[in-house]
Amino acid sequence: MLARIRITLRQHRFETIAATVLCLGVAAAGFIEAWRLNSLNFPQSCLQDGHVPWFDPTMAPTQCSVAAQRFHDISDGGDMKFVFLFEQILPFIVGIAFGAPIVAREIETGTAPLSWALAGSRVRWLFGKILAVVLLLVPLLLIAGLSADARQGALVPGVDPHATFDYYADRGVFLVFWGLAAFFGTLALGTIFGRTMPAVMVALLVCVFARGLWEPAWNHTVLRGFAVVGDANSYNSADLYVYESNELYLDGKVWTGDINQWWESNQPITPTPDPSGVIPPPPDFGPPPQPLSYVIHGNQYWLVATIECAALLAGSLFCGAVALIWVGRRKPY
Amino acid sequence: MRADGGTSNGTAALVARGLSKRYHRTLALDAVDLTVPAGSVTALVGPNGAGKTTLIRVCMAFERPNAGSVEVDGVDPWRHRSAALRRVGYVPQSPAVYRGMTVADHVAMARSLHSGFDSDYARRRIAQLGIPLDQRADTLSGGQAAQLGLAIALGTRAKVLLLDEPLANLDPLARREFIQVLLDAVHADGSTALLSSHIVTDVEDACDRLTILGGGKVLLDCPLEEARQTHRLTDSDSPPPGATAIGSFLGRKSGRLTLWRLPEGPGGQGGPPESTSLEDVVLGYLAAGRGTAGLQLN
Repeated sequence: MLARIRITLRQHRFETIAATVLCLGVAAAGFIEAWRLNSLNFPQSCLQDGHVPWFDPTMAPTQCSVAAQRFHDISDGGDMKFVFLFEQILPFIVGIAFGAPIVAREIETGTAPLSWALAGSRVRWLFGKILAVVLLLVPLLLIAGLSADARQGALVPGVDPHATFDYYADRGVFLVFWGLAAFFGTLALGTIFGRTMPAVMVALLVCVFARGLWEPAWNHTVLRGFAVVGDANSYNSADLYVYESNELYLDGKVWTGDINQWWESNQPITPTPDPSGVIPPPPDFGPPPQPLSYVIHGNQYWLVATIECAALLAGSLFCGAVALIWVGRRKPY
Repeated sequence: MRADGGTSNGTAALVARGLSKRYHRTLALDAVDLTVPAGSVTALVGPNGAGKTTLIRVCMAFERPNAGSVEVDGVDPWRHRSAALRRVGYVPQSPAVYRGMTVADHVAMARSLHSGFDSDYARRRIAQLGIPLDQRADTLSGGQAAQLGLAIALGTRAKVLLLDEPLANLDPLARREFIQVLLDAVHADGSTALLSSHIVTDVEDACDRLTILGGGKVLLDCPLEEARQTHRLTDSDSPPPGATAIGSFLGRKSGRLTLWRLPEGPGGQGGPPESTSLEDVVLGYLAAGRGTAGLQLN
């Protein structure tokens, strides 16, 4: 099996070198950005709400303004955004780059009849190739994911990156599972099409939609069951905002009345002028009812990560099964 | 019945029964019945589009037949693909090599894919031809690439070798070398070879059996010597006694030539023992297969 893995990576040496350089490069860049922020030793006492550096340094207390500005210069700098962008697209690039040619290139270059004749079982042949790629991609993407976690941890020094949902699907173990999903999905497309470029184009399109719709779809379905009423008085960036209920929050209690009725009964639109023509100030009815937000607290990070990664893995295995079944049925040209 | 589902029929290395394959409206194989005896080197001859490649692809389980069945060394490749392919060494039509991989890498790849692959044997064959093991395969000449493909097929030590027009793109010297290596290996190993080609002269000296395919049908299937001795070529419309006309075509110098099949035995009924060239036999059948007499010798 070691020989199969070595030969597979040699057959795909361009993808192997490119993926290795890209993953390690992004990981190194992420660690460097994290190190730059950590080396500022941002004072704990200057953290906004106890965990977040000031997004707007001009709003920071005087004694914190210099530190906040230096932190902001790095955290909001172009290179940080560049690294973040690459962390987001990395799993898709390497997944698609490896998935498309595994079967399709063999068919395009005419080597499939040779290797399929030698292997006998095409399923075993493809499984060996998949194993080689997975064994390469998982550690590479894991390193990049850990680097992204470290960078996120440095961006929000007061919060454990594994206890916050800030950009949670663009870092950590998600990079591994997004990469596997992109790889297996593109592998299935390449096996069905038998052509590399069409598989790449369709996979790119699918990945853009899948990634863009991923969080809204999860918020509307599975994650609703895990959401709890959020604190209406303060926003916690570590929480995962799931949805806003039609219910209202009034005086610390869930109030199921109609907001329009409340306004009509408590705040007349046109106060009646007194006989002297002076319009009296509206009566103080206290704070109006607030829309009710349902959130998942940051300490549920691993629960959500496990569920979502399991879903990505299930999708990957499904696509892998499609590829394995299809390769046994298709012609090698 | 064997454990792998195959039924050994003793002396046949490859058996096709009523094999048909249709591509949309084109019938590539039309109820082909063919038996390739074990230990033989059979030339599968026919024009482009005759169904040679399709027949080999069905045997390799690359194409599913619409009707009929095929057995390779007693195993149906469509029922027991792995078991059947373990018995087959395959050389594709165009030399297929992996870009950037060396000759040694190809041997290693074959070893990793085929459990019974004899790497030392393949390396020896390659070394005999003076092909460096560390040379990148995509820099090999056409002849060397074909030899690499043959060495890999032979390295499987398969009982049956299926060669799909491996000579088509080779120069005469490379063709001669390829056939010599093939014959040496087949005679040494006692294996069976089915060599597809549309160049009759290449296979004339190498093969001991001839199968002519035309229009998806087997037009002739017999030992090579029998094919030579049971046919006569004449330049007139007067047939040898009792002979059956096969087909007519234009000769190089004279006008129309007609191939006749003699009624029985070498030389026909009491005729002198003569021999017709294999090329003439093939041309006669191909002309018959086309249904016209317009085939020009070149």
